[in-house]
Amino acid sequence: MLNEERVVLMTKMAAFEEHEGKRSLDIGSYFRSDYISWQVLKSIISATIAFVVVFAMYIFYDFEIFMTDIYKMDLLEFAKNVLFYYLGTVGVYALISYIVYTVRYSRAKKNLRVYYMNLHKLSSMYRNE
Amino acid sequence: MTTLLVAKQILLTIYSKYEVYITPLLKFLLALITLSLINSRLGYMETINRATVVLIVALMCSFMPTNFIVLMGAVFVLLHLYTFSLECAAVIGAGFLLLFLLYLRFAPKDTLVVTLLPVCFLLRIPYVIPISMGLIGTPASAVSVACGVIVYYMIHYVTQNATVIAAMADEETAAKFKFIIDGLLKNREVVVTIAAFAITVIIVYLLRRMSVDYAWTIAMTAGAVVNIMVLLVGDLIFDMNQSLAGVILGTIISFLITLVLQFFVFYVDYSRTEKVQFEDDEYYYYVKAVPKVTVAKPDKKVKQINSARSGASRNTRPTHY
Repeated sequence: MLNEERVVLMTKMAAFEEHEGKRSLDIGSYFRSDYISWQVLKSIISATIAFVVVFAMYIFYDFEIFMTDIYKMDLLEFAKNVLFYYLGTVGVYALISYIVYTVRYSRAKKNLRVYYMNLHKLSSMYRNE
Repeated sequence: MTTLLVAKQILLTIYSKYEVYITPLLKFLLALITLSLINSRLGYMETINRATVVLIVALMCSFMPTNFIVLMGAVFVLLHLYTFSLECAAVIGAGFLLLFLLYLRFAPKDTLVVTLLPVCFLLRIPYVIPISMGLIGTPASAVSVACGVIVYYMIHYVTQNATVIAAMADEETAAKFKFIIDGLLKNREVVVTIAAFAITVIIVYLLRRMSVDYAWTIAMTAGAVVNIMVLLVGDLIFDMNQSLAGVILGTIISFLITLVLQFFVFYVDYSRTEKVQFEDDEYYYYVKAVPKVTVAKPDKKVKQINSARSGASRNTRPTHY
């Protein structure tokens, strides 16, 4: 015999698993520090690629002038400046990522708590039958 | 109004019954419109500028995730630009890459906005998107809308200056780069449009969350008015020569479209139809859960105050009314 209450609970849980839950379950399988540091690391890689793209565009923008100036300019100073901008960009982006992923982690954990509570309820429903 | 409500009910029934077919059909139509518009605006590469190719790719998009439409749109744009000028393709490709790496990685759900906004720009009703995103999204959607504006203006700039870019000799690679990047960075229209759309998204979001009657309608109206005002003030400050009638008419049409969307889509929660499968020891369950369309009833509470009786009836049996 079908238990209507159980079907409703299972449907809600399955719907959660299919959408939000998939991500929450994925996030929940990590420790907090592991998840956040992995995401921040990915953000740093993204920011590095983005910086390289912007830097390449900057060089190409005034390519001829850059090529003539390269012999005159203080290369060490130029490299220092580039490094400064790179660290600034990556630092700000990593900080934003850290905040975003910290919030996401705590939200996923909260969702999972409700999900596990429902799971517990479901198993007790089976036991009582 | 009753006829409209009945129509809404019928639509809900049809959608929940044929959801499996309607969603791919909508994806197919969106992909078809997007790719056809890209081909009509750019259309430099003969191979992909054919109805058959567009149809095949649109069919592929219909059974792939929605973000595949965005990917295909980007591929079509880059292929056309590559045929036109390698420098254009490089600059626009770098722009796409930056958008993906820096923002869309965070909000993959909002990627569709980046496709829809340029499409709506071409249909002259871009104002639909910031108002809709304010209604269904969060303030962070302002960034997605800004990404959409940037994508549109990048493509728009290239199509507008196609003759100038084509006239430059092939050896002038550096000059072409400079011309394209200058045009993209110094375009004040982009800044004003982004500011107007971002403010619209935030205002619509803040107002629709207020606990007042008709919050959604108030939010949409305020959003439309603010959008027009910011665009016109921006036009006056930066002297952009925007068409006043175009902005007002476009906003009014967008407002009407959002009203229809609000009536048919947002209130009935079509998108919450769930189809799930699971099993236990005894059964396989194939469940389709459709959210109920409920109308909130006014909550009437009758409170009886008869303090005079409470003292008198202390020593008597309670009376039931």
